[in-house]
Parts: sequence; structure tokens; C-alpha cells
Amino acid sequence: MTGESRTLEDFRTEVRQWCRTNIPVDWRRAQTGVSDREFVEFQQSWFQRLRADGFAVPHWPKEYGGGMSSAEQVVLYQELAAHDAPRLVLAFVSIHHAAATLLAAGTDEQRRRHLPAILDGEIWCQGFSEPGAGSDLAALATTARRGPDGYVVNGQKLWASGAQYAEWCLLLARTDPDAPARQGISYFLLDMRSPGVEVRPIRQATGESHFCEIFLDDVVIATDRLVGRENTGWQVAQRTLGAERGMTMLELAERLGNGGFGRLVESCPLDDPVVLDRLAALEIELTGLRALCADFVAGAAPGPADASIVKLYYSELLQRMTDFGTEMAGLAAHTELRKPLSSGWESGAWMLDFLGSWEWTIPGGTSEIQRTIIGERGLGLPREPRGK
Amino acid sequence: MNSNHTDDLAELHAEVAAVARELLADSAPRWATIARAGWPGLEVSAAFDGADAGFAEVAVILTEIGRAAASGPYPAVAALGVGALNHVVPTPDRDRLLRETAAGAVVPIVALAGEGMGEKRFRIENSPRGPLLRGAAEFVLDVPDAGRLLVPAVDPAGEVVLVDLDPRARGLLVTERPVLDATRSFGDIVAEDVSPESLWHFEDGYRCDAVGRLRDRAAVAVACDSLGLSRAMLDATVAHVAVREQFGRAIGSFQAVKHACADMLVQVTVAGKLVDAAVRAVTASGADASTSASMAKSYACATAVDIAGKAMQLHGGMGYTWESGIHVYLKRAALNRSLFGSPAQHRARLARRYSVQAPRRRGA
Ligand SMILES: Cc1cc2nc3c(=O)[nH]c(=O)nc-3n(C[C@H](O)[C@H](O)[C@H](O)COP(=O)(O)OP(=O)(O)OC[C@H]3O[C@@H](n4cnc5c(N)ncnc54)[C@H](O)[C@@H]3O)c2cc1C
Repeated sequence: MTGESRTLEDFRTEVRQWCRTNIPVDWRRAQTGVSDREFVEFQQSWFQRLRADGFAVPHWPKEYGGGMSSAEQVVLYQELAAHDAPRLVLAFVSIHHAAATLLAAGTDEQRRRHLPAILDGEIWCQGFSEPGAGSDLAALATTARRGPDGYVVNGQKLWASGAQYAEWCLLLARTDPDAPARQGISYFLLDMRSPGVEVRPIRQATGESHFCEIFLDDVVIATDRLVGRENTGWQVAQRTLGAERGMTMLELAERLGNGGFGRLVESCPLDDPVVLDRLAALEIELTGLRALCADFVAGAAPGPADASIVKLYYSELLQRMTDFGTEMAGLAAHTELRKPLSSGWESGAWMLDFLGSWEWTIPGGTSEIQRTIIGERGLGLPREPRGK
Repeated sequence: MNSNHTDDLAELHAEVAAVARELLADSAPRWATIARAGWPGLEVSAAFDGADAGFAEVAVILTEIGRAAASGPYPAVAALGVGALNHVVPTPDRDRLLRETAAGAVVPIVALAGEGMGEKRFRIENSPRGPLLRGAAEFVLDVPDAGRLLVPAVDPAGEVVLVDLDPRARGLLVTERPVLDATRSFGDIVAEDVSPESLWHFEDGYRCDAVGRLRDRAAVAVACDSLGLSRAMLDATVAHVAVREQFGRAIGSFQAVKHACADMLVQVTVAGKLVDAAVRAVTASGADASTSASMAKSYACATAVDIAGKAMQLHGGMGYTWESGIHVYLKRAALNRSLFGSPAQHRARLARRYSVQAPRRRGA
């Protein structure tokens, strides 16, 4: 036991040292209002710097360049957060969603093809949502029909984050229109350079364009790019989506608790007892969130609603905090016209950070959907009535 | 006030609101259009070609402007410019400016700092060259549009007077302050030894607390704006959730969504009551005007942020897009919350009354 804890402490010292020498100073300013190309270049170079010392994909299996224990990952993310390191926003879908999908359900060939490429910087996006299928993902209408060269895909995807930079897309499409909604869906790896793929960025509330529409017009996907068996896409999506959340949430919670709370304290008049009371209340909430996340990643058998509890609590706390920051900063909060790309949505450009908090309460299952899941799966309450 | 009169007023206000809504539906009506509608002169007496109406009618327009998230200097002119000009002792210069304001020919902007509850920031000092104005104010609403600048300043006798200036006067520096809320404009003012063109005294009732009175009008004007934008967000959300289907049902039939909308309605309704009361109190210039203004400002502006935020949430991904326009309302609501006194500052002002009352109660 003592041996193990010393190892962890050594590791912490090592990561701390690494952070001191490797985190680019002033990186936040270097990413403010820069061109798309500069943003991509910076993110790629940061990814490679982490990779060089084995910190980019600690959650992957050892043979692919990962292999860190959960406890070590906790230490790694705590230290990255404490040292205000940049986040891997661009590689997010690749190293989490894509990797988890391939590891859980991909073929050997798919893993060999993509996991090393992701380490070399291959960028992925997630094409799940559609105009008619958001909260009700199973209602998706994009079709994939077998043709002579593979599947022929037609339809429209919406809100795909980072699709303008992506080389590959995790795509859900309907392969059996007659099956019940969840049973007729398949999971594909789509090469974004395929003929018939058109990407249009959508401008979001903060003024940036991080998510996109993807139009698919007779796009051919070879059969060896099907993940899992035909019509099992729903299960693949469920299993792989849940897998990635824990450590990510821990990282975000640590960032919010460190830099985020620090910036909030800086924005507040500390001679007002009411403000002090609210700050202390937020610190308590943050401490609770960090404990929640630490337990969640350490938990051998997470409860059926734990992921939802963490997601809901994080996103709404983030919203309350950035709202309070906006209020405290007064009119000055409104003069930051460009969002400095922050490490965890706590850049101190409070109004933009506050707007950005809806990037957490809407995607990945809205707060309303999370509450329903917590009620039904966590408490066993009767299911909400649904149409059809 | 008998009930017939109240009904007539309600009817009149509904009519004014309907006309305003129509005019504002046309995206960003120009100042000329607003002037032609007679809005700048609503609260100006007929003697100066105004409509002889009151702050209550102005409040109806201000609420509709919030509903449309309309840009332009009308709120600053109506709440502050006309408010100040109506309450100074008449002089020929003042009368001319008031007449031009009512006609929409000139945009008078009052130099009140946008942040806080209003310290006095300008003063007049006597010098061999005559009286000179000095001071600075940040976040002055709509000052980039100013045709005339009206600066409340403390004169050597300690009285607050109103200085009338050309915004391009020598020694005066006006710099724009761009904000995220693209529907609003602000500027910072620095005055270094500016010679006033005219210098007006406030009339008796206003004299002892002219800046406070103007700030109350400003606070209520912003409360009206937030009330209007809250109503717009509620309407848009209800319309959306009634037709958007997920899981084979209109999302408005899910209890989570229904309850969120219901809460919005409750908040909007209460905000409406507080704003109405504040408008009445400011119109009557009673002793309770500040209290009502603070209640309306803090409640309507705080809840407007919650309501616009819920609207964004209930529109799903669509609500987070630039195109949906909900961000325009959320930005304006959050800015309104900080403008002319934050909710916390207004609540603190309300709470100061308790310690005045407390000893009396203890004595009883
Ligand atoms: C910034 C951002 C990034 C995103 N990135 C991606 C991405 O990379 N890839 C991808 O595939 N998708 C992505 N999404 C899409 C996201 O997952 C959906 O927006 C989300 O699931 C909500 O779906 P919707 O937008 O259709 O809203 P809707 O489903 O129409 O929901 C509208 C409102 O109704 C409520 N509601 C709906 N159903 C119920 C119910 N049963 N009970 C109670 N309330 C309900 C919702 O909570 C919400 O408030 C992103 C979205 C955003 C905002």
C-alpha cells in the first residue's frame, strides 16, 4: 500500500515537473481570435507534445500508447487542470468517442487502421443528431442502403462539432426502415473526403462556428467500415458513448475548481458579505462535484444514473458559476467581444463563458433528459409516457 | 382613480402597444420612423408640440422595444433626456431643445454612468474663464448617438445642475465602448475644462435629488425592457415547444418542458406587476418611487436572464445557434441586469430601509 502511494506521489511530482516545462506560456492569448489554421496547428502541436511523454491518451490500452491506471489518470488530469494546461478540444471526439467505439466494437483491421492514425493527429467528428432527431436520437432518418460497392448513404446530420476540421465521422444511419426505431440503425466510419459529403459550419450563440451541418448525397461507404453488425448501431452507440464520460468529467471538474473558481474570486468584491456567502456556497458545490467525479472514475460498479448525475451537476454548476461571474463583473463582462479559448470554459470572458455553458446543458442529453434518466434509472420511477 | 378611468387607460395602453409592436416588427426602425410615430414627444407637453401623455405611455413603448430587442437611442432619450428636460426650470434654450426633442430633430443624451447606483461624477468649477465642467463617466447609454449631451453636474454651490453641451465641444472626449449586446451602444465621456453652453437648474421638486430621480426613471426603463424581452422569449418558447416533436409528441407535452414554461409565465406575470407599480410610482413622483423602482429593476432584470436562458435551453441545439436570435435576448437581458444598478445593489438599497425602521419597532 505504501509502495503504491509513493509511486503515485512520484508520478504526481513527475507530471508537475512536466507541466512546468511543457505548458506553453500565454497559450490562451495565442488562441484568441486566431484563424482556423492556427487553431488546428496549435491543438495538433499540443497533442503531440502530450503524446511524446505518454500523456495524450492515458485511457487507451497499453499496446496503443496508453495503459495508465485510473488512479494515475486522476493524478494526471488534476495536475493538468491545476497548471491550467490547454484542453484537447480538437482531438476530443477522436481520442474519446472514436477510440472507445473502435476498441469496444471495431474490427482488428479498423483498430489497426485508425488508432495509430488518431495518435498521429487524425481528427474525427460525431454525426449522430439530425434535424428531426435530437433528444430522440432513435428517430434518425438518414438512410444507408446496400449497393454494389457498399452502403449508399443519404440524409442530413446536424450539430456535428468540429466537422469542418474532421477527416472521419462516426455516423449513425438507418439500414432497416421497417424495423422498430432502435433496431434498424447501423454504425459507420465515414471518410469525410468521400464524394457527396458537404459540410456547412453553423454559427453559434458565442459568434464562433464550432458545429456544422453535414449533407450526405449518395455517399458510398464500403462494407468494411461498418462497426459491429448491421442494425446493431444503437447498442454500439450506447456502449461507447457512456464509456468516455468519467475521466473527461473529472478533468472538467478539476479545471472548474482550479482556474474557474480562481477567476471567479478575482472578479468579485471581497468586502461584501453576501458575495462571500455565494462564493463559499459555490466552492462547496465545486468540492462536491470534484468528489463526485473522483468517486465516479474510481467506482468499480457505477450506479445506473451516476453518469447522468455527474453530467447534470457539472453542466448546471458551470452555468450558475458563469452566470454569477457575469453578474459580478458588471458591464465590463460585456466588453469581451471575442472568446479566449479557455481550458475549461472558465476563461474569465464571463458573458461568453455564460453563453457557452449551454454547450453543456444541451448536448449529450439535455438537462431535462438527464433528470428523466435519473428519475427512471436511478430511482426506478415509472417511465415517462411517449407517443407512438 | 375610478375603475372606468383604469379600464380606459388599459385599453389605451393595449392600443399603443399594438401599434408599437407593428412598427417594431419591421426590423430596426430608423430614428426618423420613431420620430414620425411621435414617441420622443409622448411625455412632452402640448405647449412644445408633445403628446401630453405620461411616463406610463412611454413605459408601454419601452416594453415593446424590449420585446423586439430593438436598437436605437429611444430608451435613453425617453427615460433620461425628456425626463431631465421636463424637470429643469424653463429657459428659452431649454424650451427650444425640448421642442426639437419632441419633434425627433435632436437626440439628447444624459451623461449618466451605466454602472452602479449613481455617484455624482461631474462638477463645475469657477475660473477666470467662467464656469468649467470636469469629470468622467463610463458606459453612458447611447452616447455615440448623442446630438446634445446633458450632463448633471455639481455646481460650486453644491447644487446639481444640468449642463447642455455639443458632444463635439472642446475639451470633451467621447469614446465608443462596444459591447457583446449588438443592440445597444455605449460610450465613455471625459470632460476636461469644458465651457457649458447652457446651464439649467432643476425645478423645486427635483432639485434635492435630481440624479436619484433620473436614475429611478432609468432603472424602471430597463425593467420595462427586460419585461418586454422576457415576454418575447416566453412567446417564442411556447410557440416552439407546441410544434417541435420528439419521441412522437410535441415537446411541450413533456412535464419538464411544460413546467419550465409555466415557471417562465409566473415570473413574467410577477415582473409585470412590479413594473406596473414602479411605473405608477415614478409617474406620481411619490416618496415610494425609489423603492418601487428598485423592486422592479432587480426582479424583472434578474428573472429576464433566467427566462432567456430557459428559452435557449428549451429550443435545444437550435436555441444555441446565432440564427435563432435567442442569444441576442440573452445578451441584452444580462446587460440590462448590470445596467443602472445590479439586482444586488437595488436589493441593498431596499434593505437599508430596514435599519431605519428597526429602532422604531424596538422602541414600541
Ligand atoms: C454545442 C453543441 C454541440 C453538439 N455537438 C454534437 C455532435 O458533435 N454530434 C452530434 O451528433 N450532436 C451534437 N449536438 C446535438 C445535441 O446532442 C442535441 O442538440 C441535443 O441532443 C438536443 O436535441 P435537439 O437540439 O434536437 O433538441 P430537442 O430534442 O428538440 O429538445 C428541445 C427541448 O425539449 C426538451 N425535451 C426533448 N425531449 C424531451 C423529453 N422527452 N422530456 C423532457 N424534455 C424533452 C429538451 O430537453 C430541450 O430542452 C450538439 C449540440 C450542441 C448545442
